[in-house]
Amino acid sequence: MNEKKLGMLIDLSLCIGCNACTVACKRENDVPLGAFNTWIESFDVERPDGRIARANVPKQCNHCADAPCVKVCPTGASYRAEDGTVQIDQDRCIGCKYCMAACPYQVRYQLESGEVQKCTFCHHRTSAGLLPACVGTCVGYARTFGDLNDPESDISKRLAEANGGDVLYEDLGLNPSLYYIGLKETEAMPVASAIHRGGNVMKPYEG
Amino acid sequence: MVWDAFIAVYLFLAGLGAGVFVLGALTNWAKTPAPRMKRIAFVIAPVAVAVGTLVLVVDAKAGFANPLRFFLLVSNLNSVMAWGVIILSVFLAVSVVDLALLLVRKKTPKALDVVGMVLAVCVAAYTGVLLGDAGLAFPLWNMAILPLLFVVSAASTGIAAVLLVTYLAAPGEVEALPFLPKAGLVLPVLELVLVAVLLAVTAGAPGSAAAAGATSVANLVSGAYAVPFWLGFVVVGLVLPFALELARHRGAGASKAAAVVGAAAPAAGPDGSAAAAAAGSGKALALVGEAGVLVGGFMLRYLVIMAALAVVFA
Repeated sequence: MNEKKLGMLIDLSLCIGCNACTVACKRENDVPLGAFNTWIESFDVERPDGRIARANVPKQCNHCADAPCVKVCPTGASYRAEDGTVQIDQDRCIGCKYCMAACPYQVRYQLESGEVQKCTFCHHRTSAGLLPACVGTCVGYARTFGDLNDPESDISKRLAEANGGDVLYEDLGLNPSLYYIGLKETEAMPVASAIHRGGNVMKPYEG
Repeated sequence: MVWDAFIAVYLFLAGLGAGVFVLGALTNWAKTPAPRMKRIAFVIAPVAVAVGTLVLVVDAKAGFANPLRFFLLVSNLNSVMAWGVIILSVFLAVSVVDLALLLVRKKTPKALDVVGMVLAVCVAAYTGVLLGDAGLAFPLWNMAILPLLFVVSAASTGIAAVLLVTYLAAPGEVEALPFLPKAGLVLPVLELVLVAVLLAVTAGAPGSAAAAGATSVANLVSGAYAVPFWLGFVVVGLVLPFALELARHRGAGASKAAAVVGAAAPAAGPDGSAAAAAAGSGKALALVGEAGVLVGGFMLRYLVIMAALAVVFA
């Protein structure tokens, strides 16, 4: 029997950018104002046929198999759990922010009290057999969650159908456990608007 | 931006303290005895590194609120920072013991000085390695170049700090180390070359890092940080001290000639006071040069931290 490796798959063609996941996550995880464990980046793209389409790309911790945050954490507060996810033991965190600096996805933030936080794949729910809040609430079934090492899991089957799916910044070699369907296709299209995050402009449109 | 000016202060002080210690230990091999210069250096070194470390401790907010967590700092030896903590601690211990011996017994064991020098180089290099190990997220933080660049800058700022105080407190000893003027000419050039290489490599970062690398360099060269970069780092920190050092070299040659002329014509009274005035303004210019090096040394750390853009934000 293989080791467990929990992962998530997001089918961008099914994401309507409703932010139900963002809200469910905030409520479930007591995420402070201004911070997000998951969020959706929404922007317009120019399709190959010349028409403008809306792209919605949910983002969150990628739970990398070779996570730089775990490597750089001096106290061992950031660690890789037995289920393959990357977790933070906040009782060990000194708030040096090295993990925040080392993460190419920049998904970590510091709490008012100094400890660092991020998406846990809802560890408290999944260890009780529940789905992560964002997955359970997704209106379009865009998100699938499960064991990547179990070929019979929903996520493995869906990934196999999608020829393995895409990951963010594959060339950085971090082996993320967050997969997408349609990410490369989306990235290949020219961006034709500002990039919004939770309704606010995250990156202005420069034409 | 994850880190800010606080961390820049730490990187600056740790590098400065390391450079200062090495210079202090090198006075053991000075051409003429330089006991006061050594004392100046051995006081500045542990104080600078300790203050820098204190800044880190305060910046680590969760640890500052729960100090016992700092004992966990060496739990993960895969972390560069854990090794940094070890290196900083041992260096602090060695430099404090060395200072105590110097103050009590008036001299230090050469072996301990050498151990301290090796640790000092490790401290200076570590400040670069610390950023370098986050280089995957911030392409400007290049693991191949930053440690070397920070070591060179640590040498510069260390020399500047010691000379600044020596000029004021023990002016008779500023020329005890004959290699210092040469270092004042070589180090700024070396630093400029290393920064140029850093910018070139970052601007050409491949793949996912490409946009962040190019934008970080643009931030420095022509963007939001262009004025502090060109004025604060390049002009004040490198060009000005280099030019003053060069002028002093030429001046030193000229004043030797003047001394010969003066000896040949001992009646020239006013010439003597002119020479004294020239020496006074020379000292003022030297102080300006050393202060410029210190400003530049801080600007380097500040800019490397502040202008760096993460892969996701470009």
